[in-house]
Amino acid sequence: MNGQPNTVDQPNPFEKVVAFVEERVGLKTIQAKMLNEPVPGGSRWAYAFGSCLLFIFIIQVVTGILLMFYYVPSTDHAYASTQYIIHEVDYGWFILSYHFWGSSVMVVMVFAHMSQVFLWGAYKSPRELVWLVGLALFGIVMAFGFTGYLLPWDQRAYWATVVGVEIMDKTPIIGDFMARFLKGGPTPGQMTISRFFVIHVMILPAALMGLAGLHIFLFRKAGPAGPFRGTPEELKAKTDYFFPRQVWKDIVVMASVFLITASLAFIEPVVLLEEATPDPGDYHPEPEWYFLFLFQLLRLKIFGGEFGQLLGSIVLPGAFMALLAALPFIDRNPERNIFKRPFALVGWIMVMAFIFIFTYSSVINREFLD
Amino acid sequence: MQPKLAAKVRCSDKEIGEITKVIVDPLSLQVSYVVIRQLGTDQIERQVPISEVQEISEKEVRLRGSSEEFGRFPTLDRGQYVTTKEIEIAHLEDHLHVEPGEVLVPLPGLEQDVPRRTFFTNMTHAIGMLIALPLVFPVLKYVMKPMYAPFDNQWFPVGNVRKIKKEDTGVQFKFKRKFKEAFMPVQNIEKNVWVVKASPELSKSVYDGKEKKFYDHKGDLVWVNKPNFPYIAYSGKCPHLGCGYKWRKIRKLPEPIFLCPCHLSFYDAAGKVLDGPAPRPLDVLPIQVNSAGEIKVIDVEYKAGVKQQVRVL
Repeated sequence: MNGQPNTVDQPNPFEKVVAFVEERVGLKTIQAKMLNEPVPGGSRWAYAFGSCLLFIFIIQVVTGILLMFYYVPSTDHAYASTQYIIHEVDYGWFILSYHFWGSSVMVVMVFAHMSQVFLWGAYKSPRELVWLVGLALFGIVMAFGFTGYLLPWDQRAYWATVVGVEIMDKTPIIGDFMARFLKGGPTPGQMTISRFFVIHVMILPAALMGLAGLHIFLFRKAGPAGPFRGTPEELKAKTDYFFPRQVWKDIVVMASVFLITASLAFIEPVVLLEEATPDPGDYHPEPEWYFLFLFQLLRLKIFGGEFGQLLGSIVLPGAFMALLAALPFIDRNPERNIFKRPFALVGWIMVMAFIFIFTYSSVINREFLD
Repeated sequence: MQPKLAAKVRCSDKEIGEITKVIVDPLSLQVSYVVIRQLGTDQIERQVPISEVQEISEKEVRLRGSSEEFGRFPTLDRGQYVTTKEIEIAHLEDHLHVEPGEVLVPLPGLEQDVPRRTFFTNMTHAIGMLIALPLVFPVLKYVMKPMYAPFDNQWFPVGNVRKIKKEDTGVQFKFKRKFKEAFMPVQNIEKNVWVVKASPELSKSVYDGKEKKFYDHKGDLVWVNKPNFPYIAYSGKCPHLGCGYKWRKIRKLPEPIFLCPCHLSFYDAAGKVLDGPAPRPLDVLPIQVNSAGEIKVIDVEYKAGVKQQVRVL
């Protein structure tokens, strides 16, 4: 405005501030290192899941914090404050429904991310630790879903927790302690809300942030795996940096996921059932859909009785997780092409089919109950 | 040995310049080219494939060809490359040691000849443990405070036997009980029990002619259900995983049954498991009925999912 043109010798105040910060922080170097990550074989839509999960988590944090402006974690106010958010607070129904649907979208994205890593053989050496930390993150996401489910304190919340904690109780030796620790007593009540609340809003977010940081650090340390086909020359010819092409693909996927989640929140907003009581009335307890296959599994006669239950609720899921954890150490074949790994391919299809069939049959069972 | 920066470069006939840069292949992490500044010029830098390097010694790098052939290598197009400071390539530093010799900084005087580094390390850990260990027990007790509450052996009125019209039929009695938890005001919570007016056969099926005894957490006897008593109360909590079950007719069976909608456990009027995953029959509660027909029960709860009854409430 003073008529003097900016020259290289006379930086304007903004440039001075930037230079001041840059000298002390070195942001440009960090930014360059972050964005200039070579992606072997070039950017792909299939690589967008991980970034997208980070995005979903950030929005869950934001909507979660907003919910805490009104939510009160107590047996006499949890339900009323949640109803208040839905019916009285401007856009409260949307924030809550977005948070609710966001959790489902996150679980779907976790499955997609894990499947992609599995099918691409990206868990193999030298990325074993990335995979292991990823499994821990998977557990944390499921724990988020489980603890968050109780907080509205309606019948759905109450009964999913009753059954879920009873299942945990079946763990040998530590089960009883774990169940009592979570419930804060023999039956769900105020102590349960307090505990689930602090786990949901403090412990799990801290754990997820720490482990996600470690996950990304380990991933960058090992470098992206790239496609499972192609000679080094072909890969090199197609290589580009994380920015701009992969960032562009990521941001498109993030925007789509945001739109889908927002639409779900809009079309199917959260409606609470009656306030939680130890009397279920006409309500047929059911967990959130992503736990339905496990729920249905426990309906099978072979997983009945004390031993069968231990088998179905603890041993089987535990063994499956242990198998996933051991996977990079058992599967030492460096071949990453999924079409040359028949066991892996068939195994993945079987797991997906199992989850689908059991989820679907639990939905069919609903009709039988009505 | 990798070429050192600023190493002199010789061709078969004479010295032709010095190395100013090396170019690395990002996939193999090997040096793929050396960049040589031509002797006597400031600008001309030529890019020579590493395969053209014949020998690398401490003093110099020797190329295969003659100085004339060197002149035919392309000059470096700097715009085609980035430095390793601007880009992250995993494990690059582990493979490459392209440095102009060692970079040294002086060791402070106080750090020289410090004899007990291991001792200091261990002391640091020990002091950390001294801070943490005394906290373990208080913290555990702190979080465990509400976990093991004593049992409540109060009798609760749940309704009148007049409500029961038929023998051997499940009738639900909802009742409200006062519930005081920690710092919370006393709450009225809704619970339910199922009461069956038992025929002699049903009583026999439930009690098998034996008394049913109830104990508190210290093991003292609280109540005894007599085997010939005509009313039997079942806890509303399914012994499978703690859901609430119903009395209802299903298509497959002629008589109505107790059905838990959670995991589809079926029980007959005597509480015996007909089908489904439940590990034990329905839990019988302490019951008394006064002369006016008022039913009272003790709100006993057992751990779900185990064969034995383990009282938790």
